[in-house]
Amino acid sequence: MIQLFHVSKVYDRCVALHDVSFRIDQGECVILTGPSGAGKTTLLKVIFGAETPDSGQILVQNRNVARIRGGAIPYLRRTMGIVLQNFQLLPQKSVYDNVVLPLIIQGVKRREARQRVMDVLKAVGMEHKQKIRTGVLSAGEQQRICIARAIVNSPILLLADEPTGNLDADLTMEIVELFRRIHAEGTTILLATHNRQVVEQMNGRVVHLQEGRVESDKEATR
Amino acid sequence: MRPLYLLREAMNNLRVNRGNVLIGIVTTAFTLVCFGVFLLLYLNLKNVSGTLQSDIEVIVYLDPGASEQVVSLVQKRLKTEPAAVTLTFVSKEQALRDFSEQFPEESLLLEGMDANPLPASVVVNLSPRFLDTESLSAFAERVKQLPGVTHVAYSQDWVDTLTLMVSYFELGAVVIGMILAMATVTIIANTIRLSLYTRKEEIEILRLIGATGVFIAIPYVIEGTILGALGGGLSLALLKGVFEFLRLELNASGWFAGVEHILPIFPRQVSFLLVMTGMLLGCGSSVLSVFGLMKARS
Repeated sequence: MIQLFHVSKVYDRCVALHDVSFRIDQGECVILTGPSGAGKTTLLKVIFGAETPDSGQILVQNRNVARIRGGAIPYLRRTMGIVLQNFQLLPQKSVYDNVVLPLIIQGVKRREARQRVMDVLKAVGMEHKQKIRTGVLSAGEQQRICIARAIVNSPILLLADEPTGNLDADLTMEIVELFRRIHAEGTTILLATHNRQVVEQMNGRVVHLQEGRVESDKEATR
Repeated sequence: MRPLYLLREAMNNLRVNRGNVLIGIVTTAFTLVCFGVFLLLYLNLKNVSGTLQSDIEVIVYLDPGASEQVVSLVQKRLKTEPAAVTLTFVSKEQALRDFSEQFPEESLLLEGMDANPLPASVVVNLSPRFLDTESLSAFAERVKQLPGVTHVAYSQDWVDTLTLMVSYFELGAVVIGMILAMATVTIIANTIRLSLYTRKEEIEILRLIGATGVFIAIPYVIEGTILGALGGGLSLALLKGVFEFLRLELNASGWFAGVEHILPIFPRQVSFLLVMTGMLLGCGSSVLSVFGLMKARS
């Protein structure tokens, strides 16, 4: 699914990633851990094409993302779902309009799109709020909507960068449960977090980054 | 891609950004009004020039001593000229009658003379294709060489001046048009850029979920096109309003008495051209600003 070969990235003499190599197989759940500045976000960014590595190769479904041309990046992103810490929702638009966007972009027909949106809203427990503007929702609800938007086009890979960073302990557990359910349905997950509670509850393979290097790579315990 | 979604987004952009859009429409309208005024002046002048030029006749004066055979030969030769459309023979007697009718007071001068001093002539109406300065003078030169022809007359100075004026206006229209087009492009491009900056976060989100540059750009291009078309429409309304007001005022004052049929005109093409120019400038400038920004962000 994903293979990284000696990936390095430097920002203004500051090493974000140094000779990072590992592999994620289809259906795996990988938790990327490490302190702030360890390179977790940069690693996710090079995988979804927001950053170009200075050296090394990144294969995502046998496509070399390190050498992908700009025009192909949107099509790469359509195969993955992306969830970020700061929600990235359109606050003036309704829950439905936010979640349906990836399907509009991909040209899915209106009726089919409606069905798929309703299915994912039900899956994240937000179907009753489809007409409400996302700007008035709580942080936990907004993150649920983000997750719904990320999975509405049935991606084979879900990338999440500190998805519980802005949530309290109870909401964090709700979101973790959501990720576990998505993983159980066969979606490959790469989740970056420094929250121990999330790492323990997700019970996936843990790749620990320290100063841009892979310090440890441990398989799931159960 | 859903056209209705993109159109709705464009309308939403116009609504959210309405202050800047309004300024953009008004400034575009005023710029196009300047262009429209110049265009109208040019078209009216060209219309006048065309009307006057089509009235131009070439008068071929014949030698008073020329025999009927020579006169007939001249007419035959003139008929073979591709430029000549109609020929009217004016005899010495007819010339005298015409002179007396046109200048009744001066005709007394001719009464004291023994013989009719006015020469016979052939009045030639030319095809519109041969009414330019070069064709006219070439025709006159050829006719002058014919035996029995003493003089060829046509209003060359008037034709030359008018032709020159029209060509200056043509040049002026191109230069002023280009300057105004650049001004309009700058105004609309800045409005679109402001719109883009206002929705910077939204664009980032769209890119994150796999929207292509074209998908993101289309609503802004539609926005620019609508803005340009509205600017063009407003300029048309302003121009037409001022034009009709002036025409009423001038007709009331009697300044254009007798020449209403040639002055002034407001052709439909001008209305169409103003709105189309606004639309094209709007579309072009938004394409420039959107793709410039897309490139900078990728």
